[in-house]
Formats: sequence, C-alpha cells, structure tokens
Amino acid sequence: MNQQIRTIADLDRVIHEPGRLMIVALLFAVDRADFLYLQHETGMNKGTLSSHLSRLEEAGYVAVTKTYRGKVPQTLLRLTGAGRKAFEQYRRNLKEAL
Amino acid sequence: MDQVGNLLHRPRLYYNVDGLGELGASVMCLGFALLLWLLMRSPADSIWHRISFFAFVGLALLIRYGTKAVKTRITYPRTGFVEYRRQWHTSAIAAALGALGTVGLAVGFRRHWDMSMLASLTGLVFAASYGYNFARAVRWKWVIVGAIAVATFVIAFLPADVLRALGSESPVAHPDRAKLLGTILLSLMAYATMLLISGGISFWLYLRHTQAPAQEGQ
Repeated sequence: MNQQIRTIADLDRVIHEPGRLMIVALLFAVDRADFLYLQHETGMNKGTLSSHLSRLEEAGYVAVTKTYRGKVPQTLLRLTGAGRKAFEQYRRNLKEAL
Repeated sequence: MDQVGNLLHRPRLYYNVDGLGELGASVMCLGFALLLWLLMRSPADSIWHRISFFAFVGLALLIRYGTKAVKTRITYPRTGFVEYRRQWHTSAIAAALGALGTVGLAVGFRRHWDMSMLASLTGLVFAASYGYNFARAVRWKWVIVGAIAVATFVIAFLPADVLRALGSESPVAHPDRAKLLGTILLSLMAYATMLLISGGISFWLYLRHTQAPAQEGQ
C-alpha cells in the first residue's frame, strides 16, 4: 500500500460521512450553534440530524447542551477540543490524499 | 476540499442572512454622518463637542444590542442561533488599522494635506469589503458593490467647491479641511443609503421566505 492510499485509509470515518462532515465543518467555524441552525444549513430532517449528532457525541466530537430560549426548548451544539483536532487532522489527511 | 472551505465560510455569511448586518452598518454610517454634521455646524463650546466621544460609543452600543434584540426575536426562532468565535487577531488588526488611519488623519489635518481624494477612494476598499462579506452569498448584491464603487468615483471627482460648501460652515477655516469634511459627510450618506436599501430588501425577503417551525422542541 503506498503512502497516498494509506492516508485515505486513515481518514476519520466518523467525520468522513458527508452529513457529519457538513455538521463538523459548520460547527468548526463557530463557537456554538443550535439544532435549528444546523437543520437550516444542512437541509437534513430532524431524525437524520439527530442521528448524526448522536454519533458525533458518542465519538466525543460534539458537546450537546439542552436549554430553553424563553419557553422554547433549545439544543446547543459545540465542537469539543477533540472534535476540533480531529477535523483539522481530517483536513490535513484529505489534502495529502488528494 | 473547496466545498469544505465553503462550509467553513457559511456561518460568517449567515450573520447577514436577514440583512441586519447591513442595516446596522447603515445606521452606523448615518449616525456618524449626523454626529459629524453636528460637530461641523455647532459652535466650538456647544455640548456636541463635549459629548461626541460618548455619542459615538452610545451609537455603537445601540447598534450592537439593537441588532442582537431583533435577531433574538426574529432570526433565531426562524433559522437558528449562532454564537461566533472571538477572533482576537482580527480585532487587533482592525484596531491597529483604525489607529493608523486616525493618526494619518490627524497628521494630515495639521499639515493641511488635501486628503479628500484619498478619503473618497477608501470607498473602493469599502466596496471590496462589502463584496467579500455580503455579496458573495447573494448575487444581486453585486449591484450594490457596483453602486458603491460608482458613488466613490462620483464623490472623488465632484467639483471642489461643492465639497467645500458641504463643510464650509465648520469652525475650521482651512478650505482643504472643509473639502475633506464634505467628502467624508457625502461618502457616509451615500454608503448609508445603499446599505439601507440593500439591508431593507434582504430583511423583507427574509421575513417573506422564512417562518419559525412549529414549537414542539428540538
């Protein structure tokens, strides 16, 4: 296996999935955002977005905070330190692979 | 990779999704123009000369918190909430450039340089910045970029008498200063008008095309 192929094999599969890549890239650029924003930007439905977020939370890449905006429930999402590092590494690997 | 790059830029473009960024900038330009006009037209011992700094700060705070209040009531319930990362290096560069510009302006004033052409051509920098920050996301806003560039050239090449007349009643006597003040005043008013139109259209379109989802939690 040459170096380039090895780099592709090393890509973080949690982030590499297109839906999760969108979420991580959007959260990388901000301090935090809510569920509605991600839904609006990615065009995903609630179920799909929730499932991706659960996967990212399990991996320790996203921190989820449940709160209220007035009387309306609000889910705030933030990329953790591990999530930021993983995304930076993913971008480096992808650049090398391409 | 380009698509990932685009995604990384999207949150920044989201700041003006409702046109409030432009409306805030417009109010800022109008407020600065009004304060400048008051400083030019009022006697040297008037209250405006004593409270001008506080008026500038008050205006900036009003825009910051006013925009936040409107976003909290309208934008966040419709298309979501975003809190941006604090970019200290960007703030430091902006502060350094602002300080450099102020020092340059002060030196120019003292030495009676004719800086009106330079002041009006900063409109090209403004047009480029507007294009980068706002027009990239919405194609029709390139018309506004063009309008700002045209206004910049029109103001730059206006007869000196017209510009001096705008600043002529100021307490400062030197004609170059009057010309510079007239140029700044006219530029601020032109930019404010364009931003008001563009921001107003964006806000109207945003209200028309978005609505808050049914409140069943997230």
